[in-house]
Amino acid sequence: MPDHPLPDCFPPYDEAGQPQVPIEGYAATARRNPARALFRRPHTRTELTGPLDPAAKLVPGEGNLAVPGPGRVALGQLIHISGRVLDEDGRPVRGAVLEIWQANAAGRYANPLDAARDAPLDPNFVGHGRVATDAEGRYGFFTVKPGAYPVPGGPGRWWRPPHVHVSVIGPSSLSRLVTQMYFPGDPLNPLDRILNALPDPAARERLIARQTDPAEVEGEWLAYRFTLVLRGRRATPPLP
Amino acid sequence: MSATGSRSGAPLPPTGWQTLGPFFPQALFRDGVDNDLRRRRAGAPPTARGVPIRLRGRVLEEGGGPCVNALVEAWQADAGGRFRHPLDPDWREADPDFLGWGRALTDAAGRYEFLSVLPGGYRDAAGPRAPHVNLAVLASGVMRRLVTTAFFPGFAAANAADPVLSALPDPALRARLVAKDEGEAEGARIFRLDLVLRGDPETETPFFLD
Repeated sequence: MPDHPLPDCFPPYDEAGQPQVPIEGYAATARRNPARALFRRPHTRTELTGPLDPAAKLVPGEGNLAVPGPGRVALGQLIHISGRVLDEDGRPVRGAVLEIWQANAAGRYANPLDAARDAPLDPNFVGHGRVATDAEGRYGFFTVKPGAYPVPGGPGRWWRPPHVHVSVIGPSSLSRLVTQMYFPGDPLNPLDRILNALPDPAARERLIARQTDPAEVEGEWLAYRFTLVLRGRRATPPLP
Repeated sequence: MSATGSRSGAPLPPTGWQTLGPFFPQALFRDGVDNDLRRRRAGAPPTARGVPIRLRGRVLEEGGGPCVNALVEAWQADAGGRFRHPLDPDWREADPDFLGWGRALTDAAGRYEFLSVLPGGYRDAAGPRAPHVNLAVLASGVMRRLVTTAFFPGFAAANAADPVLSALPDPALRARLVAKDEGEAEGARIFRLDLVLRGDPETETPFFLD
């Protein structure tokens, strides 16, 4: 059993900080969300608990998506994404499984479901990775900056800004998080209907990574920081 | 506290959800491993405790079409109704070989399947829990995971007393969360629960506020 405190209290989400549906021009949001209102349920042991060591089941890799082998380097801007996974009390979440997946620098996913596109595949870009957080809740990935791509279908075509999908499996079922990380200053960000599904501008801002001062970056990997806060706190806060 | 941190003691706002999108990498899913709740880790033998089950079904969207490349995640107690987690007062008696967590990636027909054991019920502060498996659906268009719970036939009295199932006001909705008994195959009892993310009032699966 872990010797550090785990969250045991999961207040309801602030709706303004969470995506609202349906989203215009994203038909699946209308077809795949219930017409009926969600039912309130008590949080019993099944909801409050979760797998304590998900990394034993989902085995972490190296966290390098851009160099699949010696001498093989993906095309595009090489970047490093790092940050911490915290709970609502600001405590680091240890041993969380973080998975990322993204389009390549041309805006194409290495996924058979993303076919029939002009944008090329990159044989040297893996497109997905998995790591576990350390004792301080830290994680890191080496990858390339993804390209933007148009959202197929209509009405009202729009483009997805460069983004990285992030999935976190934390200490409780209720702390589960799947989100997307965006890049600072991209002109497509304010036009993105998926980012804009969060009504609260501050919540949208939290999905945008911070660029590390380029003067401090050594090597060729432009660095970004992205903090993830999982739902959950201790019912009894620690003494100051 | 960290740069993002709660120096004031005020809680940090949780990061907002976004959709899984249509392109969750199939390479991140190992069929027969990730959807097997009976093994603590890849390569470990399945737990010997409990009645083996297969819980399967389809994830469907409005109009009855399949949800392809969706993740269904499962979490349940062991055969004795315990969790290996400090919030379970009986965690020391939990089955050490049982994980209780798994995920399945739906195929072109929207099908998912979990290999597990029949969960045990337990006493909770909220009331007596009937045997159940918590399920969450993540898919393109689903902006926040949709959560529901599978219950089992043959536990009518326990199901009627369950505090989560009782959160549904309508008996027809409660019946919709009880999986169908489809007999036995491959040494396991087979149960089916289709997850209708959106449909008419007679078919849509009830989902809970997360």
